[in-house]
Amino acid sequence: MVRNKKWLISLLSVFLILVLAACSGNSGASGDDGEDTNGSDSSNSSDSGSTETQEISFWAPFSGADGPFMKKIVDDYNASQDDYQVDFQIVPQTDYYKTVDLSFNGGDNTPDVLIMHGDQIFTYSEKDILKPLDDILGGDVTAAQYHERGIEGATVNGEIYGLPLDIHPLMFYWNKDMFEAAGLDPEQPPTNREEFIEYAQKLTNADKNEYGYVVPTLWPQQFIFPTLVAQNGGELYTDGEVNFTAPEVVEALQFQRDLIAEYEVSPADVQQDGEVTLFLQGRNAMHLNGPWMLQQWVDAGMNFGVAPVPQLGTEQEAVFANSHNFVIPESVDDAKIDGILNFLRYVGDNTLAWAESGQAPAAKATYESDAFQEVNIQSPQVAKQFDDVVFSPDVENWGLAVDPLMEEINAALLGQSGVEEALQEAQDKASQSLEE
Amino acid sequence: MTNQTSNKQLMKQVGLSKSIVRSNRRSKATSFLFVLPYLLLFGSFLFFPLIYGIYISFHDYNLLSKDHVFIGFENYIRIFTPDTALSSLFFEGLLKTFQFVIFSVPLLVIVGLGLALLLNSLPGKIRTFFRTVYFIPYAISVSVISIIFLWILDTNSGLLNNYLMQLGFDPVPWLTKQPFAWISLVLATVWWTIGFNMIIFINALNEVPEDMYEAASIDGASAWQKFYRITLPSIRPIMLFVVITSTIASFNVYGQPYLMTRGGPGDSTEVLLMGIVQQAFEQRELGSASAMAILMALIMIIVSVIQFKVSNATNKGGA
Repeated sequence: MVRNKKWLISLLSVFLILVLAACSGNSGASGDDGEDTNGSDSSNSSDSGSTETQEISFWAPFSGADGPFMKKIVDDYNASQDDYQVDFQIVPQTDYYKTVDLSFNGGDNTPDVLIMHGDQIFTYSEKDILKPLDDILGGDVTAAQYHERGIEGATVNGEIYGLPLDIHPLMFYWNKDMFEAAGLDPEQPPTNREEFIEYAQKLTNADKNEYGYVVPTLWPQQFIFPTLVAQNGGELYTDGEVNFTAPEVVEALQFQRDLIAEYEVSPADVQQDGEVTLFLQGRNAMHLNGPWMLQQWVDAGMNFGVAPVPQLGTEQEAVFANSHNFVIPESVDDAKIDGILNFLRYVGDNTLAWAESGQAPAAKATYESDAFQEVNIQSPQVAKQFDDVVFSPDVENWGLAVDPLMEEINAALLGQSGVEEALQEAQDKASQSLEE
Repeated sequence: MTNQTSNKQLMKQVGLSKSIVRSNRRSKATSFLFVLPYLLLFGSFLFFPLIYGIYISFHDYNLLSKDHVFIGFENYIRIFTPDTALSSLFFEGLLKTFQFVIFSVPLLVIVGLGLALLLNSLPGKIRTFFRTVYFIPYAISVSVISIIFLWILDTNSGLLNNYLMQLGFDPVPWLTKQPFAWISLVLATVWWTIGFNMIIFINALNEVPEDMYEAASIDGASAWQKFYRITLPSIRPIMLFVVITSTIASFNVYGQPYLMTRGGPGDSTEVLLMGIVQQAFEQRELGSASAMAILMALIMIIVSVIQFKVSNATNKGGA
């Protein structure tokens, strides 16, 4: 009995040591991600002038189908020269800003250059986390090499904080088979509100559960609603205040509600992704969504077309967009700037691979090239909208205003509250949240 | 099991010999070693983060700011100040979480027990088969469960409405209108997690001595009387365990509404944890988010203690 116990205790201690070793091993492993960065930091600051290869760490949230395209660009860059080695790390999209925030908060293990969405740049620049680029640009890399709206999207209070990789506006998709069946020209998407409603009514056959345009009640209203407001000539934020009860905003919501209740080109009670499901099933003829959806339609073997968003609003052409930008943390050593710019210059000149993912690069060298026009059916259509894009307003914690707006849009589109009372409610909640 | 405990009590009353005390001490050391690995993991992944969370909740802790100023109870005070965005985020979220707990816990307990009774009355091999079948959903992640239910419940293209329409009913807006949205979320949750409660109840039922049922049968007790007089009192401690764990699990509801209804229709299913996550990782305000999380934990502790007390009180009252 006693001997057994001794044996047991020694076994347990071995086990414990293993557990402890595993624990410390883990913490070592978690630091591993950045070990290369740290190593390069020290080596570079000491002898930046030497001929040895400089390492540049680069983070991006491209954990989806777009990842391999960026990987290819980075690999090609690394193979094209010997001075710099870009260490590309994909952080899962859902954890991206969490990971970025924590790395900045810890202060170590931060990337030298990273991808940031346009609507995030304001918040980070306000916290002095990003390097203003105005003093750095001018040599090989200039703002003029990119579409001016792209640069605008990365500019805060007149200072440029990022170089745009792409601009991704809302897109218009349509099912060519359904157009043909309804007697419409499958190569001719609608271009304005009248055509849109006319087509949608022709395409709707509620008995067969087929609809002209299924109105989403949740995502991607975050893109659709601001698009309609901008097309109506309105703004969600004016003169330092949320502006949800302006006539242009009310009209944008009333129009969508009318598509369901008055024109009856959409079923009621559409749930999350319900419109996507119906589009994939060939029972939703027209669809608004981001360019990232392309692969899904292709995989489903659909016969679809893609075009700029028609002018559904009353005043002008406009489309809401977000963008991917290269930004450089404030903390990055000056000795590394040359290498980072060299890499960004290369990416600007060679982003056709990125266009293959269905996106439209914002570098003129790419989107103005002939090869770009042929790269796929979507990217040239995306680039056509560049001149008309509008971005999120530069407001700290703009998400606090968007959340109640989206909740109330949801309730109104589901017919559970009136259009004007919903927007009044959203106005009250959003201004309260932003005030605090 | 009951025999063993009564034996121990007897020994305590009689008084223990010294050798037993010594060997007890040594076996205590051994059992401590057994607990140690868990204790280490508990410490590093639960206890330390909890303490750190309390620490953060006393600071103005924006993830992107360099200085995190100590502000005492300011975050808590803001939560309890009426008509602020933070207090409505917390209390409206809490209200919806409570709704979910009240809707789901009774079902999780009753259906779990019902399935366990049903399976126990099946012959051996079929029982094992169905036990596995009912348990499988529990092993699937919430994202998969949500996608399955999104497809089944889709108002305009879902499986369930398709069947309903073929039977001549109107389509039901399962996820876009109340009370259906709650019904759907509870339904998905029950389907997902019921296997766990069922397994625990099956074990509890197997612990009930067979001879008690035989004696009752001889006395001419009906099936209902046997269930009410023998089964239920025998499994009472397990029942309490299941009620408390189900309540805690339901309090932590997040994935189902986040993925299935996105908090809608309107904000009617926006539960507390969604608000906390939003505060922490969209607004990056870890201080107030931690304060909300600590308050939520306190409320869960209070609710569990109340459940425990109530159960004990009825236990004594019954005995």
